[in-house]
Amino acid sequence: MNDFLLIRKNLFRKKLRAILMIVSILIAFAIFGVLASFERAFNAGEDVSEADRLVVVNKINFTQPLPIAYFNRIAGIEGVRQVTFANWFGGYYQDPKNFMVVLAIEPESYLRLTATDFTFTPEMTQAFIRNRTAALVGEQLAEKWGWKVGDRIPVSSSIFSQKSGSHTWDVTIVGIYGKNKPQADTNAMFIQFPYFDETRSFGKDTIGWLIIKTASAGLNDQISKAIDAMFANSSYETATDTEKAFNKAFVAQLGNIALIVTLVVGAAFVTILMIVGNTMVMAVRERTREIAVLKTLGFSGARVLRLVLGETLLLALIGGTLGMGLATVATLFMRRSLAMFVPGLTMSAGIVLAAFGFMILLGIATGLVPALNAFRLRIAEGMGRG
Amino acid sequence: MLKQVLAVTRINLMSIPQRFWLSLSTVVAVALVVMVLLSFLAMSAGFRRTLASSGADDVAIVLRAGARAELNSVIARDQVRLLEDAPGIARDAQGKPLTSAELYLVVDGIKRSTGTKANLPLRGIGESGAALRRGIRLVEGRMFAPGSNEVVVGKSLVREFQGFELGRSVRFATGQWTVVGVFEADGSVFESEIWADLPVVQSLFNRNNTFQTLRARLTGPDALATLKAFNDGDPRLKLDVKSEQDYFAEQSSQTSDLIQTLGWPLAIAMAFGALAGALNTMYSSVASRSVEIATLRAIGFGGFAAFVGTLVESLLLAGIGGVVGALITWLVFDGFSASTLGASFTQVVFSFRLTPALIGQGVVLALVVGLIGGLLPAIRAARMPIVQGLQG
Repeated sequence: MNDFLLIRKNLFRKKLRAILMIVSILIAFAIFGVLASFERAFNAGEDVSEADRLVVVNKINFTQPLPIAYFNRIAGIEGVRQVTFANWFGGYYQDPKNFMVVLAIEPESYLRLTATDFTFTPEMTQAFIRNRTAALVGEQLAEKWGWKVGDRIPVSSSIFSQKSGSHTWDVTIVGIYGKNKPQADTNAMFIQFPYFDETRSFGKDTIGWLIIKTASAGLNDQISKAIDAMFANSSYETATDTEKAFNKAFVAQLGNIALIVTLVVGAAFVTILMIVGNTMVMAVRERTREIAVLKTLGFSGARVLRLVLGETLLLALIGGTLGMGLATVATLFMRRSLAMFVPGLTMSAGIVLAAFGFMILLGIATGLVPALNAFRLRIAEGMGRG
Repeated sequence: MLKQVLAVTRINLMSIPQRFWLSLSTVVAVALVVMVLLSFLAMSAGFRRTLASSGADDVAIVLRAGARAELNSVIARDQVRLLEDAPGIARDAQGKPLTSAELYLVVDGIKRSTGTKANLPLRGIGESGAALRRGIRLVEGRMFAPGSNEVVVGKSLVREFQGFELGRSVRFATGQWTVVGVFEADGSVFESEIWADLPVVQSLFNRNNTFQTLRARLTGPDALATLKAFNDGDPRLKLDVKSEQDYFAEQSSQTSDLIQTLGWPLAIAMAFGALAGALNTMYSSVASRSVEIATLRAIGFGGFAAFVGTLVESLLLAGIGGVVGALITWLVFDGFSASTLGASFTQVVFSFRLTPALIGQGVVLALVVGLIGGLLPAIRAARMPIVQGLQG
């Protein structure tokens, strides 16, 4: 009879009790798994951002416009390898409730700069650049509406209108792109900025923001300062930041998501710590006499200690693994229904690893007191108490 | 019968100290479940209240068709002129229409709690702008002077964001502005805004002759329909006309529903964890008292008394947990100030609100956990065979 068999038999001698403890551990880990993936997904912008990318926005706020002339002026700054720009379109499909992300982009440079994020084939790149009314659609968005290459789609804007007074632009889908990074968001549509700019009724020759690829991340600071200094005291001052810092600040606007997740997960773990910890103290106390017998048979104190700790570790691992399994399934289901709010909801290896760390900690924390009690138990005392 | 029930219940409750730590863990587990639920519900209720108190039913708001949020909307000067003469709009003693054409821009501010940039609304308002909103009261300083680079700011904005205290100077683009007043607005979203004189904002932000929304005081309950009919009948308008109350109700439902749909499933999942704990505690309670229960049964006590005794113990533990959880949530979170991005892409400052109705929901959830957690062990106590029980 090896120790593992003993551990297993001990754990499941009262089946109902073991199952109840496993259920409470399972739930705590399921909550951890789901909330941690939510938090990661909210911060996906930070994960996909690249170290050598800068974002230039109007200093007043990123919703304020910048002149299109900045595109060429920034391109001339030393250390700027690539530059492109985009404008928020405020898109929706058919009904204002069907909000969608539509960006009017400078065709050639935008696709080149973001080629590390998305899978633009040479064919779709060519077609997009050549055709004024072309649109590129992300896989997730295309799937949502069942769009195919060649479809002609009316996209409406909740902000802009055409000179004719219409709020709707007709575009032709020339390509459906995928992603090169797991956290990238393919829930967007790109349209040509020149087409958009010439047809809109106001705001001509202004753009939303610029994205820059620098020669190296080490130059970021210097280039940011050079850009902001170049436009200082003009009527369109700029604020330049790394893509990562920009995305991080944007998510922070929603609220302190990390704090909320920490508090809820903390509450769930305190709960199981108390429930499992107390139950194990009780379970081992019931077994006092048996432990005395084991010691009489020659089991050392250390071995008895290992047996009890092994039991709580096994319990934590069973409950935790089941919980993480449940969380993985749950995120898969929510991924589709919540694609609009949290694109890229996925269970990452980092979260699973952290979960295993917590399982070991939980096993040790809940087993420590009963294991030490068993370790210290004197045979005569144990026999007497039984 | 009643005597038996009371006697057994008393024995149950008196023996709780013997299982002190296990019982305490049930209380804490239930308290934590209730805290999680109530803090989400209080967040949702607080946000909803802030937006609900912002909208008046006798004020119409006009936006570009399909705009849905003030930030997106664009209205031309000609359209504003047409609307000012529209039927259904109230007029002051001099016969001037009670309307306010407004410009709604987003500017950066620094959030105190995180030190990061956040979107704040800068609203250029007309002469009647403040009068069109209920409960506007200057608590410090004075109103901005027309034609000047002066702003007044909402009380919540000053609390949550840096650098907007009375007398401070703020810079937006090339313009330097002075904070000359701080106002209250019944805790509505307007308390998270910066207000300035419309023509000054238009010229400093290069938005001459453009407006985003028009607010108008209505003459009576039927006036909204009249105004809508007028708008729909003129091809130069074709704008979205709704009551300010409806406008804010639409905006609040998105965010507060989202918070609620997060809060309930989380709390229910945690409640299952606590339920497992409660079942464990109560089964242990029954097991540790098996000799007593069997003895009572042997001297003629009914199974029902054992059943009730166990159930009451479980309900009491969960009930204490529920009350403690609600109390802690109330102490920590009621009135807690937070801000998030609203539908108009700007920060809305709101306070958590723990109402008695919400506390009721929390305590009910706790009692449900106690009821289910006590039921099965209580049945076991009632059915325990006497001989087996007496053997311990």
